[in-house]
Amino acid sequence: MEDNKKKSTPPKKRADKGPNQRLRQRTAVLIILILIVGFGATLLRLSFLTMVQGSELQEKAVNQQLSDTVLTAKRGSIYDAKGTTLAESASVWQVVLAPINFENDEQRQAAAKGLSEILGLDYENVLEKTKQQNYYTVVKRKVEVEQRDQVMELQEKLTKDYDCGAVIQLLDDYKRYYPKDDLASCVIGFTGADEQGLEGVEYKYDDYLSGTPGRIVTAKNARGTNMPFQFEQNVESEDGKNIYLTIDEGIQSICEKHMAQAIIDNNVLNRGVCIAMDVNTGAILAMVTANGYNLNDPYTLPAETMLKIKELPENEQDAEESKSLAAMWRNKCVADTYMPGSVFKMCTASMALEEGKITDSSRFTCGGYMRVEDYDIGCSVTSGHGTQTFLESFCHSCNPAFIQIGQLVGIDKFRDYYTAFGFSEKSGIDLPGEADDSFWPEGQMGLVDLAVASFGQNFNITPLSMITACAAVCNGGYVLQPYVVSKITDSKGNVVKTMEKKVKRQVISNETSKKMCDMLAAYPEVNGASGGYVAGYKTGGKTGTSEKIGVEKKQSSFEKDYISSFCGIAPTDDPQIALLVFLDTPDGGAYYGSQIAAPIFINIMTELLPYLEVKTDYSDEDLAYLNVSMGDYTTLSVDEALKKAEADGFIATIIGTGSTVLSQIPQVSSQVAAGSNVVLYTEGNQPEKVTVPSFIGCAAYEANSVALQAGLNVSYSGAVSSGGVAVAQSIAEGAEVPRGTVVSVTFAANTSDGNSD
Amino acid sequence: MAPNRKLLYKGDVNRIYDDEYKASQAAKKEKLFIRPSRQRKMKNAKWFGIGMGIDLPFCIILLVLLTIGTIMMFSASYAFAYYTQNDSYYFLIRQLIFVVVGIIAMGVMSFFNYNKLHKIAPLVLGIAYVCLLAVLVLPAGDGGVKRWIPLGMFNIQPSEIAKFAVILFFAHWASKYYDKMQLAKFSVLPGIIVFGSIAMLLFLEPHYSGIVIIGMLTVLMLYIGGMKTKYLLIGGVILGGLVLVLAVTGGLSYAMSRMDGWGQALEYTTEEMWQTTWQTRNSLYAIGSGGLWGLGLGQSRQKYLYLPEPQNDFIFAIVVEELGLIGAAIILLIFALLVWRGITLSLRSKDKFGKLLGIGLTSQIGIQVVLNILVITDWLPNTGISLPFFSYGGSSLIMLLAQMGIVLSISRTANIERQ
Repeated sequence: MEDNKKKSTPPKKRADKGPNQRLRQRTAVLIILILIVGFGATLLRLSFLTMVQGSELQEKAVNQQLSDTVLTAKRGSIYDAKGTTLAESASVWQVVLAPINFENDEQRQAAAKGLSEILGLDYENVLEKTKQQNYYTVVKRKVEVEQRDQVMELQEKLTKDYDCGAVIQLLDDYKRYYPKDDLASCVIGFTGADEQGLEGVEYKYDDYLSGTPGRIVTAKNARGTNMPFQFEQNVESEDGKNIYLTIDEGIQSICEKHMAQAIIDNNVLNRGVCIAMDVNTGAILAMVTANGYNLNDPYTLPAETMLKIKELPENEQDAEESKSLAAMWRNKCVADTYMPGSVFKMCTASMALEEGKITDSSRFTCGGYMRVEDYDIGCSVTSGHGTQTFLESFCHSCNPAFIQIGQLVGIDKFRDYYTAFGFSEKSGIDLPGEADDSFWPEGQMGLVDLAVASFGQNFNITPLSMITACAAVCNGGYVLQPYVVSKITDSKGNVVKTMEKKVKRQVISNETSKKMCDMLAAYPEVNGASGGYVAGYKTGGKTGTSEKIGVEKKQSSFEKDYISSFCGIAPTDDPQIALLVFLDTPDGGAYYGSQIAAPIFINIMTELLPYLEVKTDYSDEDLAYLNVSMGDYTTLSVDEALKKAEADGFIATIIGTGSTVLSQIPQVSSQVAAGSNVVLYTEGNQPEKVTVPSFIGCAAYEANSVALQAGLNVSYSGAVSSGGVAVAQSIAEGAEVPRGTVVSVTFAANTSDGNSD
Repeated sequence: MAPNRKLLYKGDVNRIYDDEYKASQAAKKEKLFIRPSRQRKMKNAKWFGIGMGIDLPFCIILLVLLTIGTIMMFSASYAFAYYTQNDSYYFLIRQLIFVVVGIIAMGVMSFFNYNKLHKIAPLVLGIAYVCLLAVLVLPAGDGGVKRWIPLGMFNIQPSEIAKFAVILFFAHWASKYYDKMQLAKFSVLPGIIVFGSIAMLLFLEPHYSGIVIIGMLTVLMLYIGGMKTKYLLIGGVILGGLVLVLAVTGGLSYAMSRMDGWGQALEYTTEEMWQTTWQTRNSLYAIGSGGLWGLGLGQSRQKYLYLPEPQNDFIFAIVVEELGLIGAAIILLIFALLVWRGITLSLRSKDKFGKLLGIGLTSQIGIQVVLNILVITDWLPNTGISLPFFSYGGSSLIMLLAQMGIVLSISRTANIERQ
């Protein structure tokens, strides 16, 4: 103790100034360290995190806190002009498990029991799935809405009763249905796995069809379940718009039927095109790329194509398959170009008329060929057409005459009109993949080029632009923007958008157009069935046979590959509809447009015009070969029946001795030629048998008399008048049939005649 | 002798007391607890009722902090309580009980003559050692960590007792040997012995943040107690060396595993790191989400199970998320005011023991606040330092409030001085 005191004495001196002083100083240091340095550092750090890194951190926080559920919008439907459904979507769901989130067997069993009951699955099977260790196990696909609701209830129950995290998920699943399979496949297109439009209207109008997906933004706790209080933001999904096409299913199927037949009949190698357009509005009534494909199964190639692919070396198969698929999906009407050939003469003629280069006294001489600079350009009639009027030149489809007409127009004007008709621009149709034309660049078009261009050779345009020009030629000269969608409605049916007729410009005057209609009308009158003559209707048109130039490899067995086309209008006194048909590379018996394209035009128009309720206007010749409807003579007495049949213009033959007609051949309402036989049976006796003769090669009147002689009746179809000959009969020659049976005989243009193009 | 001293050193009551203390030390047979009847006879040795009143500003600041802290603890724990206890008020109800008990403890302690602690300082240290040893014997808690002594309703954390014991012991030591503190054997040596032994025990728990805080408190107490500044540096080197040795021997594996993701909470590259840094990362998300003004009281989203145990060490992240930088700065300011007021009033204490004890106890608050916030902001590794008056926890809150009661008790003598 004493030592301590002594030892403590020396420092005491210094401490006299005060240990308190030292304590105060050291406390000041302490305060600086804790309050200034320490608290300063924390405040600095907090400021940095909240103010500088704040938004970045907040974003990350929000990302983990918010669960963003996308509400898929239902894709809109596609309807034809009359409201027939062409494409529609149905909602279904996928039930998916995230089995790794199960914590114990109790949860697994509860989930498996619930799911198996709701979805009608095997309990053990589902339980097996709940035991897997992954985040995605599909339990069932294509679950309908009632089951989905039950699954949602189950989810809540599992969370509540078993404290499950996010174990069951419901994912949107959709299926797009195309009720008409391959109808208008090149126009409608199809959708991909995520319901995105890939082709056609499905692609072009994807924004309208797909609608706006909605969102449910919910705050989730770290377990993935909702936070207990309201923290939810809903953005309703907006279903896709419905699209109404200008395409009429009736017209479309008529066109498709005849195109498909033509493809088979003429062994067409590169498919065919058929477009029907309302000439006054530019609305596309039918658009066919034959053959189409099944929209419900767009990735399946035709069997014969697959066989060809299978023959290729294995390493080329995939590439070839995708190439074939792309070709199959390609809309030839807008995506491919061709040389219009003689069809283009309607444009050349319009130019000359509009420019006043043609007078009543204009004459064009054809010596079978025409020399332009160093080239001799031949005519289809090698002996030449001699001296012709303007109309004759057109009806003869005389190339030398049109070279002269083209020269009258001149290179510059020709180019101007070419542009004005809309060939050099995209038509603006609401379909994807429209091709550009190929024409001589400005200043590079020579006289030889003008010569061949005047009859549609050596430049390429799309089929669509050809029919658009044709519409302009006959509708008063207005170049229209073609379109396939007429209106767009929302899911409740309110019209959102209506497509209006859009006139781009007037290329020729009304008068010129009127004259052109008369010229187009004259063509079938002069050329009959090979010129597209349709009995009972005022049709007009122009054939075309264009050589394919610049093809890599000749495909057909002809000397060259050809495109046979026909572009026509109806009725010519008040044009309503334009129709373009073309067959790319026919490899059958013939390749001239007059031989193979004109009959398609006739067949389609024969069905189409009654469908459109266009007034008939039969010539005397037409009337002679018009089918009539067989009357009903059964249950009548023999006398009455005979009287009635005579009045109806049929020749009645009574078989049997009864007093009342029990049955008749042909049956009631059968379509038969006027003056046909009708055999009336008064007893239940066996019908008398006769042998069917051959009608092939007969003209219509011959066919009827052959039939009457054989005790049969004919029903006319095809190009009966205007020089058509029978090319097919519905019952084969030599068959034994009951007397009075109707044989349907199909007539077509006489292919042995000289061709006008 | 004593009166002379008193004259020489004005206001240094300690002197007189020291003599009395030495006298009592000499009489070793003297009972530790003195009967109340004898209290009143001992003028300067009353157990209760010394001085006039407590320091009102300090008390108000403290109660404001406690109120804010309890409200924020409720807000932060609300969702966690809902999910884990199925009762949103689970933590609030318990914390309120601790607050009540703590305030009673504080009130009692504010009337307690802190000078009596002088006498029992070594005993308190001894109790701390017993607790630190006991916890090692008891079964381990979560993750093999032995930090808690279960006592029915609430648990006792021996490191909390150790912190107090260290402050108290060195206040006792430095005031007793105030004129010898410049000598290493009176300052550095006891420092090393006390801290070293406690650190060893804490290391076995393990409880590294406890080691850090007790180390800092030891240095702080020795520094203000008069230790030569140069020993500070030597002490620093020894501490660093110790950590290094432990690191080399692999004994720091637990802490190291927690430090793996230190400073990389946002740049996780592996699934393991993602898990390791989960708490810190979500703390940063919460702080960042707060921005300047915060999402509003009760509007935290990170407390919905993203930030694990948001009512504990990471509560301040939720505070920043809800109240923003502004709110956080205000709370920090109130803490700073508390520390400032606590230290200044302690300096006005009549005796050296009171000064040292008061400064030590209030500094502990400041140190813990700073360390806690640096942990939740990923500037320090995540080792478990609670935020005074905010973090949920019975023993630490009651302990803290009792300690604040001692500071208030000290403020009574300071008031006497002013009068």
